[in-house]
Amino acid sequence: MRYLRLLSEIIPWRPSLAGKLNPSTEAFAALIAALLVIPQGITFAYLAGLPPEYGIYTAIFVTLFASLFGSSSMLGGPNTAVAILIGITVAPFAGRGSPLYIDYVILLSLMVGLIQLLIWLARGGKYFQYLSPAAITGITTGVGIILILSSLDGIMGLSPSSTLFFFEKLYFMAADWRTLINPHSLAIGATTVFVGMVAKTRFPRFAILIAMAAGYLVGLVVLGIYTQVETEVELLGHIPFQALPLSYPKLDLEYLLVGLAMLPNAITIALIGLAQSMVIVKSLRSDTDQAINVDKEVFAQGIANSLAAFFSSFAGSGSFNRTAVNLSLGASTPLAGILSAFAVFILIAIFGPLLSFMPMPVIAGTLMLVGIGMIKPSEIARLFSWTGELLVFVTTLFSIIFLGLQTGLIIAFILSVILFVLSASKLEINITKGEESVEIRVEGHLFYASIDQLSSLLKRHRYDSVLLDLSVVSYMDLSATEAIARDLQKRDSDETSFVIVLKSQRLLDHFEQRLEGMPVQFIQQNE
Amino acid sequence: MILLLGLFAGGHLNADTPIAVEDLLKRSYLDDYHSNVVFGYRIVTETERYGARYSGNRLRCTNCHLGAGRRPDAIPLNVAGMYPKWRSKNGRRNGIGLRIRECFVYSLDGIMPPEDSPEVLAVAAYISYISHGEMIGETPEGRGVPTLPDTGYDPNPANGKAIYDTKCGACHGVNGQGIPGIPPLWGMESYNKGAGMANTKKAAGFIWANMPLGQERSLSHQDALDVSAYINMQIRPGDPRSSKLLKLFESVSGLVD
Ligand code: HEC
Ligand code: HEC
Repeated sequence: MRYLRLLSEIIPWRPSLAGKLNPSTEAFAALIAALLVIPQGITFAYLAGLPPEYGIYTAIFVTLFASLFGSSSMLGGPNTAVAILIGITVAPFAGRGSPLYIDYVILLSLMVGLIQLLIWLARGGKYFQYLSPAAITGITTGVGIILILSSLDGIMGLSPSSTLFFFEKLYFMAADWRTLINPHSLAIGATTVFVGMVAKTRFPRFAILIAMAAGYLVGLVVLGIYTQVETEVELLGHIPFQALPLSYPKLDLEYLLVGLAMLPNAITIALIGLAQSMVIVKSLRSDTDQAINVDKEVFAQGIANSLAAFFSSFAGSGSFNRTAVNLSLGASTPLAGILSAFAVFILIAIFGPLLSFMPMPVIAGTLMLVGIGMIKPSEIARLFSWTGELLVFVTTLFSIIFLGLQTGLIIAFILSVILFVLSASKLEINITKGEESVEIRVEGHLFYASIDQLSSLLKRHRYDSVLLDLSVVSYMDLSATEAIARDLQKRDSDETSFVIVLKSQRLLDHFEQRLEGMPVQFIQQNE
Repeated sequence: MILLLGLFAGGHLNADTPIAVEDLLKRSYLDDYHSNVVFGYRIVTETERYGARYSGNRLRCTNCHLGAGRRPDAIPLNVAGMYPKWRSKNGRRNGIGLRIRECFVYSLDGIMPPEDSPEVLAVAAYISYISHGEMIGETPEGRGVPTLPDTGYDPNPANGKAIYDTKCGACHGVNGQGIPGIPPLWGMESYNKGAGMANTKKAAGFIWANMPLGQERSLSHQDALDVSAYINMQIRPGDPRSSKLLKLFESVSGLVD
């Protein structure tokens, strides 16, 4: 039975699964998604330390497989946090962009995919709901700041100065700007960012495309007047594009040893990739009526990243911004994602050569725009209303910036769990005093961690008649009934009464069995 | 006894020379350093594939730097010990990286890669690797191309054409367009006007010492000079430093076909 369910999740999506399918809507959304993912693919490949074509392949193949095996209109593919982490993970083992580096990225992607498939087998998708929104805001804000800082290198035309702490970089730039900053790069990069910011106020969806076009044109003008040799403005270069870029993970002993060393980070990448995808899936499920299967989406991410290793792609995850655009254009099935993979293919085949003269400061400017977009003041402001959430946000943000993204993510996961346990063990208790009885209404989860609150209350009212209203308690464990039973034994049952209000028949049976023969009455409250 | 000494010396030499690049190619795993050397070798020998990002024509580095940069008098690349060197052009000391990037821009009529691009770093590693055994700071034997003695006559392109048609056209094509396996000498798929090979004297030295392939040094000095002048009179991409807008147009229109 269980295997049958697993089997059903492996089967690719097919049009008959969609209740109502509107192919032309999906196709249009796919085209726009393709236009958006191409610059992101190239930029994120740069973040991950790979040649641009790998980003394009990721935009094609990871998107394709994630949609083909998924159940929703979520768009997968290249992702910022995952790309940064890939760069951080592989950099200690080989020079950025070298063939060995690429081999390790391929191996890492396979590892990430396999770990996600294990999580799928263990039915782990549901646990990602514990990631607190505050931690997620902390992560996106932190990644946004990392993006802005790393974009400075490209915009100013510095050669990547990978300093550990961002303030060092800012210090270097301020101290030595005359020799470090390339004015031509700066002109192109600043135009890109400026146009992007202006475009954002009028055409928020296409701001990045407009910014890129503007940067590209300024680049052509600058290079037309001064030439690349004089200005040393870095260009993207030709993208050697293959229709079927087959690759395979090398599994010699030496590679496996490096793989072992990369394992902790592979786990982090697998988790952060799934976490982002699951947040998207969760919101799609609550906002739309798509037939979404969470476990199937976990499988889709895992298989897409595993297969990435065989198509010269790197691991990715669901994309917030592309999914949002997709949704706003009316896409409601995986068909949009599948078609967008083909659209990327066709667009690159036709317009790819034009990208050769794309100045790298434009790519860096795009990175900065993406980074700025990830910092959402309104979301951060909302967190100020609760200290717990604010603390998680601030800790996550600071550890990402000062301790590095991997450490920051692990801290975010741990804090989320702590926050969850803390908030779950907090009972909302309302006491209304009647003439000779006290009504105690309990909300929350009644279990070993939260029961103390209730038992101390019951102790205080031992000489009053008590109406214990548990009708909105959703979860209760053995220690809860035991605590109530203990209190009942100490009660003066002749003078006072003890009534428990319950909703579900299941809990009622449970109580009646455990509190058999004790001075207690039950009221079953029906909905 | 002498034989034995010779053997000993030979053995010693062997232990000291690094593994040949061709042998590195056969290994299934290479560490970061050696894999980078091999990547550099591949860029030099299959530029259109491994250096595709920055190259703009059909030439390979090895077309001019013969034998993957290991043949004397054919601009050998065993010159790591000669860099960095001071250049009047930009008034700075420049490392081997700039030299590599320049050949991408001019000889390969391409895009200038950044100093820290994987391609430049790999070729630099390869150059260091094959420079093993050279004295640092001392010009390696057969560096660059031989400087031909002054013949006393100006180069004569008309004679150059006659020589080209009889001795070179069979391989490089009547219109210098090249054939698969043999590189073009002019046209939009060859080096541009800013390249070292566009200098008539340098090209003459290269041609005299290395062409026609298989019959090296069979041309007279004057013939080499004439054919070099003829080749460099033909149409080829402009110098990226002078014809700025034109160059841009050239590159963009080159993308369309
Ligand atoms: C069209 C022929 C041609 C091609 C193709 C070519 N080069 Fe060169 N290269 C030259 C010439 C000619 C010189 C010598 C220039 C000079 O002396 O000023 C040179 C010089 C060099 C030098 C300096 C050698 C020294 O003695 O200091 C390096 C390094 C170099 N090239 C690397 C490359 C690389 C790497 C490639 C391939 C990406 C390449 N070249 C492709 C013609 C070429
Ligand atoms: C047997 C065929 C053959 C003949 C004949 C021949 N070449 Fe070449 N030539 C080649 C090949 C092959 C290369 C590339 C060498 C390599 O890749 O190892 C080359 C390279 C060159 C280059 C440098 C690369 C480039 O495209 O600029 C020049 C210049 C050149 N030849 C000139 C000549 C001239 C001048 C003649 C006549 C005197 C000539 N060749 C005759 C085969 C030939």
